Amino acid sequence: MTTPRRNVEQVIAAIAGRQPALELGPVDICFLIALHVRAEGANLTSFTEQQLEDVFAHASSIVQPEADQVRRRATHAIQRLRAQRLLARVDGQGVVRTGEFALSRLGTAIVEFYLEEDVLTCASLTLLTSSLRTALAEVLATARAATTPEQWRDGVVGPLEITIAELVAGIERRQRGLDLQQEDFQAEIRRLLEADWFGALDRCQALLESTSATLRELNEVLLRDSSVLLAQLQDIEDLAVAAPHAEAEGAAHRLMDQIDRSVAWGTARQRAWSEYFQYVHRYLRDVVRLDPTRALTQRLRDQLAGTGARFALTHAAAPPLRILRTVTPVRDKPPVVRPRQPREHDPTTEPTVDPQALLDDKVRRALDDGSLALSSVTAVVTAELPEGERFVEAGRVAHTVAQLARVESGPERPWVPVGDDLEVEEWRVTRSRR
Amino acid sequence: MSGERRGYAQLQDVVLDPSFPELDLALRRGRHADRDDLAWYTLLIEAQDHLETFYRRYGCELIHKPDGYFYLLPTGEKLSRRQLGAGDMLVGQALALLYLDPSTIEQGGRITTEAVIAQLVVVLGSDALIRAFNPKRKRYDERVAQKTARARVAEAIRHLATLGFVDLVDDAQLRLRPALLRFAEPVRGLSAPAEALAKLVAEGEVALVTEGEGEDHESDDGDRDLGSDEDDGPRANPSGESSESPGEDELLDDRPVDFDRVLFDEVSATDDDEDLDT
Repeated sequence: MTTPRRNVEQVIAAIAGRQPALELGPVDICFLIALHVRAEGANLTSFTEQQLEDVFAHASSIVQPEADQVRRRATHAIQRLRAQRLLARVDGQGVVRTGEFALSRLGTAIVEFYLEEDVLTCASLTLLTSSLRTALAEVLATARAATTPEQWRDGVVGPLEITIAELVAGIERRQRGLDLQQEDFQAEIRRLLEADWFGALDRCQALLESTSATLRELNEVLLRDSSVLLAQLQDIEDLAVAAPHAEAEGAAHRLMDQIDRSVAWGTARQRAWSEYFQYVHRYLRDVVRLDPTRALTQRLRDQLAGTGARFALTHAAAPPLRILRTVTPVRDKPPVVRPRQPREHDPTTEPTVDPQALLDDKVRRALDDGSLALSSVTAVVTAELPEGERFVEAGRVAHTVAQLARVESGPERPWVPVGDDLEVEEWRVTRSRR
Repeated sequence: MSGERRGYAQLQDVVLDPSFPELDLALRRGRHADRDDLAWYTLLIEAQDHLETFYRRYGCELIHKPDGYFYLLPTGEKLSRRQLGAGDMLVGQALALLYLDPSTIEQGGRITTEAVIAQLVVVLGSDALIRAFNPKRKRYDERVAQKTARARVAEAIRHLATLGFVDLVDDAQLRLRPALLRFAEPVRGLSAPAEALAKLVAEGEVALVTEGEGEDHESDDGDRDLGSDEDDGPRANPSGESSESPGEDELLDDRPVDFDRVLFDEVSATDDDEDLDT
């Protein structure tokens, strides 16, 4: 509880690595309890092997009176408890002589759980809180006087983490004990009513009243004393912050959390018990007192089983209020359709284009503009054409020029360049045929 | 009682109480109010005289039972009323038995849905229970019928929770409330159950159910409080009591009711209502 907060994964991994397991039967638990009771009664700090066997035989005679081979079973039981670290050898002599054994911390905790000694009572809580107040006052005085880290560690951190923390843990442990006791009370009330319906009325009410009174007193003590304890711890924390001493500050802070938790426990339990108290009190008054012979249950069971006329309860059933609002009527949206189109189209007359006629026009214009050589006509006509088409078009131009005009060529037929990529055999245009 | 106790000198003072509107609506919808409804119960106790007179003008009796709960019982025609369905009645009586059982007080009256079904099985037997919740099926698959029975029990518990007979703690747990003792009324007195029942019928607390009628009520469980047919006003049932019986189509429909769907339909119906336009 008061150790520094550790990483949950690390703690679980470390515990899991040790592969812990507990397997205890009723005889084992009773054996542990018998050891604890015997040690308390005879002020024993440890048991010899013979004493262990005697205690086991005694416990076994009560739990399993007809069982035989007690000595052998005692050996096995001691072995089981030792293997599960509930019983520890404390003499350290090994094989030199017979050993001495004592209950381990785990064994003692199990025994204390079953003996239910640590139930929080008003007396124990008052005692614990007054001890806490005294111890905290001493720690506070030490903290005020502390000037060195050693003084803080020995006079403040140590007592906070050991003495004070043990006292607060004692309160928490007893709170858990009281929780268990309350559960038992609730089961006890049920058992009492089942065993003796009307006769158990007074006993149940006494149980309810006593538990309510206990919880009320505990809560009062917790609320009253917790404020003093928290104030003392706050002073210690303030001094630690001023010092500064982080360890002491952390320890004081953790203890304040624990005390807050204890106060919250008291409030929550009182609220829960109050609800339970009201329910049971009503039950005792409305059900048990009004039906002392418990005839109602039987008659209701018969009714449910179908004897007698069937009936139905009547209840009011007013319709829910209707809130009027303006409603805009929704307009019908036209369905989504695709417009109809004729698949077949009627033939239409389109003007035709005669490429030769176009060429004829171009050549004729070139000739009319005064071009007197094939190369000049070709250059004009093919000037706007792409590079790749000019060669083919040059042949057509030569043919058209020959059709539209009279051409001549000398004995020497010179090749004349037309632009950068074309050469034609030069003809001279002498006369137009038009 | 003492309407003047907390400054309720007049009915106006009661109506002006902040808790009144919700309490009034809840009572009119069939809710039972007990000590766990602290504010409502206190108001009812302190203004009982005024409220009894107030509701009597609506043809209702404000009933206060010695077990510590109030509810509104319509005796006239001004406020709609209904009868619980057969499934609700079975589950209600099982819950009342559990309320009387000392084993439930260990947990302060908290029980599980499984405990209710187990109680019904103990009293009725498995076969009778399945038949009770599958009344229209002559032949049925056991697994499906069991599933239907469980669903009907859960549905009945939800309906009883809206009326204040139980509190739903979570999906699996519920808390029993004193109003459950209403289910034990016919067998509570010293008189013979038949005589007590006749008296309750005369007072309008219960209505007798003829053979086969309960099944019809049960099919109506789901939408009875959703106002699906309240506009038609109260109608007479075979026992002569005024009640809102389900329509014939509804009687034939024994499917589990989908509450969301019903609510949605209700809203849609409201939107289309011509009266709203005027």
